[in-house]
Amino acid sequence: MAAARSSSSVLRGGSFGPLLVVPAVILLVGLLAYPLGLGVWLGFKDAKIGSPGTFIGIENYQYLLDDPVFRLTVVNTALYTIVTVILKLGLGLGLALVLNQKFAGVRFWRSVLLLPYVVPTVLSAFAWWWIFDPQFSFISWALVRLGLLQRNIDFLGDSWLARMSLMIANIWRGIPFFTVGYLAGLQSISPDVYEAAQIDGSRGWQTFWHISWPLLLPLTVILTTFSAIFTLTDFQLVWTITRGGPANATHLFVTLAYQRAIPGGAMGEGAAIAGFTLPFLGILAFAALRAIRERE
Amino acid sequence: MNGRFLKTWLPLALFAIFLLFPFYWMVLTALRPNAELVSTTANPFWVRHPTLEHIQYLLRGTSFPRWFWNTMGIATGASILSVAASWLAAYGIVRVRFPFAAGAGLAIYLGYLIPPAILFIPLADVLLQLGWFDKPLALVPVYTTFLIPFCTWLLMGFLKTIPREIEEAAMVDGAGRVRIMLGIVLPLSGPGLISAFIFAFTLSWNEYLYALVFMSAPEHKTVPVGLATELVRGDLYQWGPLMAGALLGCIPVVILYFLFVDRYVQGMSGALKG
Amino acid sequence: MTLRRRTVLQWGLGTVAAAATRSFAQDKYKPMFPVEKDAQLRLLRWSGFVKTDEEVWNQNTKKFQDATGAAVNVEYIGFEDVRPKAAMAANLNTGPDLVMGWYDDPHIYPRRLVDVTDVAEDLGKRLGGWYDVARAYGFSKTEKHWIGVPIGATCQAFNYRISWMKEAGFDKFPEKTDGFLKLAKALKEKNHPVGFALGHAVGDANNWLHWCLWAHGGKTVEADDKTIAINKQESWNALEYAKELYSVMVPGTGSWLDPNNNRAFLAGEVSVTNNGISIYFAAKKDFPQIAADMDHANYPIGPVGKPTELALFSQAFIFKYSRFPNAAKEYLRFMLSPEQAGPWVEAMNGYVTPALKKYRDLPVWTKDPKTTPYRDVIARMLPNSYAGNPGQHAAAALSDFIVVDMFADATVNGLSAKDAARRAEGRLRRIYS
Repeated sequence: MAAARSSSSVLRGGSFGPLLVVPAVILLVGLLAYPLGLGVWLGFKDAKIGSPGTFIGIENYQYLLDDPVFRLTVVNTALYTIVTVILKLGLGLGLALVLNQKFAGVRFWRSVLLLPYVVPTVLSAFAWWWIFDPQFSFISWALVRLGLLQRNIDFLGDSWLARMSLMIANIWRGIPFFTVGYLAGLQSISPDVYEAAQIDGSRGWQTFWHISWPLLLPLTVILTTFSAIFTLTDFQLVWTITRGGPANATHLFVTLAYQRAIPGGAMGEGAAIAGFTLPFLGILAFAALRAIRERE
Repeated sequence: MNGRFLKTWLPLALFAIFLLFPFYWMVLTALRPNAELVSTTANPFWVRHPTLEHIQYLLRGTSFPRWFWNTMGIATGASILSVAASWLAAYGIVRVRFPFAAGAGLAIYLGYLIPPAILFIPLADVLLQLGWFDKPLALVPVYTTFLIPFCTWLLMGFLKTIPREIEEAAMVDGAGRVRIMLGIVLPLSGPGLISAFIFAFTLSWNEYLYALVFMSAPEHKTVPVGLATELVRGDLYQWGPLMAGALLGCIPVVILYFLFVDRYVQGMSGALKG
Repeated sequence: MTLRRRTVLQWGLGTVAAAATRSFAQDKYKPMFPVEKDAQLRLLRWSGFVKTDEEVWNQNTKKFQDATGAAVNVEYIGFEDVRPKAAMAANLNTGPDLVMGWYDDPHIYPRRLVDVTDVAEDLGKRLGGWYDVARAYGFSKTEKHWIGVPIGATCQAFNYRISWMKEAGFDKFPEKTDGFLKLAKALKEKNHPVGFALGHAVGDANNWLHWCLWAHGGKTVEADDKTIAINKQESWNALEYAKELYSVMVPGTGSWLDPNNNRAFLAGEVSVTNNGISIYFAAKKDFPQIAADMDHANYPIGPVGKPTELALFSQAFIFKYSRFPNAAKEYLRFMLSPEQAGPWVEAMNGYVTPALKKYRDLPVWTKDPKTTPYRDVIARMLPNSYAGNPGQHAAAALSDFIVVDMFADATVNGLSAKDAARRAEGRLRRIYS
């Protein structure tokens, strides 16, 4: 970093640098920062659909903290994010390790196993909805046929099973994100490092644990934060499969915000629910930043 | 041989079953006649009387081709715009030192942390003030907001791996700044640009919420929105065409991955080295 | 499909050729409102549950264009997407001129809507009057004028398998709630359980659970729109009834959304469920034996002694920002007049029951006797806001699934009736405060 700075003096100067950043900044300020500001402002108003509302301070937030459905949503979201991110990380890394080997057809498998990430979530959610259907689930069908079960599993009707089912669908979709990241990470590790390790006599898991994993750690933090952000604000999967039911057991921040703001008409309250995600996002952002700093 | 089985084939098989089963189900549904779809006795793992009627209906009876080209145009436009803006910004931040370079990089990166799901209500207001509501082209700049941050981050990492000496040598030879940037560094950024493009294209191809809220006319819809809104009528879901559309609709992205998966990973890994 | 539709509409923009082919009926047609010159309207409506709905609606729209010169661009979207889109339009003050929306929609932003009293009165006078529920949804008590022109309701009835009902020892479908419970238990004995949605199903769950609540005399709120009335003996009775019914239901209804019961019924997994006429039509198309063996009955009457049904109600409203309010009003008047609405309702095969009493007489309701129950629902139904008035609070309560969750708590989650009602009371208090 320091070396780069001294040698960069050749290219320093003028308005050239700032100019290059301008297009990206215009797009982000106009279509991201500005609406974000508007959204935060909306959370402090009693806006209803069709009426802009007046400023009411933190009343929306107070109201929500007192709302049992919102409290349940906080628990759901935390659980959903933590569990799925950990499992996505583990499985994604596992798959990356498998696909990082040399074997016949590896290229084919690399592209094919990324498919869950490629199909629009709304549409794959429809597929999962059938897979978890109380009457038509193929899992239940197979287990009943094999004589392992008396009756179908009520995947989405029981609170805990419903949460678990949605988590599985989310994990399914999220694995490839980690896999691609880790594949890139594994390939960025110089082969010399491994050779040195082999000379030292370490192999298999040992090599991975002592050599690769420490090198992958900064990348892991970045992938985890990105994944956590998208999981924390998941919408399509839950909205398609359960609508937040049964009895609000699967509502997440965004599904509840959408339900209250759009079909329910309480725009200000919806914006406030979305606003509650910001501190969490902030924490994640902070973690990611530190990881990047460390990498540099 | 045994180790090979445990280390490669067994885990690969397990992952393949888990990750691909839903696709198998989608293919079956696309080919299954309606009468077979809602049978609890028929074997759900197989189709007895496959039919092409759903695919035909999708292609002839709906605006699917139109949605397909809309999505293609929007995704291509958004990806090119994002990659271009990101590359310029990344180059500016990494290579042209200026007082607020680090700050700019940080600010752009933070943009990635604001997900569409909490933005769509106020963003609708903004689009309206701009007169962009229900205009498919408006989705191009809108999509860049969730593409630029990651693309910039990726390209910043990638640019750091290109040796600075190359530029300095050219500068000694008297080449201008813009010529160095476009003539020397741009061609060397190939793998990074491909990675960023694929990343951007995939995300814009699948985007749902913005397209759902900001587009209304049927001929302005994208593939995911068109399928999910026009093939669902009240409690009637046209399962066959819906799944046929899901499968046909992801073909361009699948082709992209088949052709470039290794370069995609390469570009990302280049970025990580930086 | 869509493209073709567009071209047809554009082709029909008041061209001379089209005007020359006007039918006799249209020659007699006299607009009641001075349609603005070169008027262009955008209508946002729910997509037809049957394809013929859109075809006939488009034909009628074209007739209107030929007769008045006003161009109408009709946009069809899924029924659940109408509310967000309409709300967005109300919020942003731009968008479609007219909307065919649902339930409380116009009462959420009444001040943004054109007064349509003249249209409503003209239609009511000519066509046998409006049903009570239509007035509740179309007339704003706060604004003291009509803000929506009622269209009709996508009515629901109990769908049942005739042979299984007979097998269970019943010749006729019970008309009272306790009789129905006996039937459900007998069907369960014969291994043909009933099934009703208890998940967040916008249509099915809301409809049957509000019926269940009201049938036992329960209600969410009093007529003053302030006093919460859910935590009372009547609701507890309703919850106990639902608990008993749940015990003989097919497993898994706790997660059912709108399409689940269609699938289960067609697969022969359930013997009775509540639905619009869509199951019957799917059966006629792909499962003829089931179509022959099924029939419909109106929701049974509970201890209150009068019908208490809920159905998805639609009404059309015009935004004040429209530059062509007269054309919009005339369009609604035209589309709901017998020359147009008659064929339209016929084409929908009974999916939508019109809000004007005259349309009871259309042959569609008697041609196939199995459709007749759907005709009568609209006379038997109450507004979702009952006993209060449509508006923001009622809309919020409905979209937040307060009643549905209360029943799900008592049945699926096994809470006591009093605990479930107390929870719902707390949530309603917050909404109505």
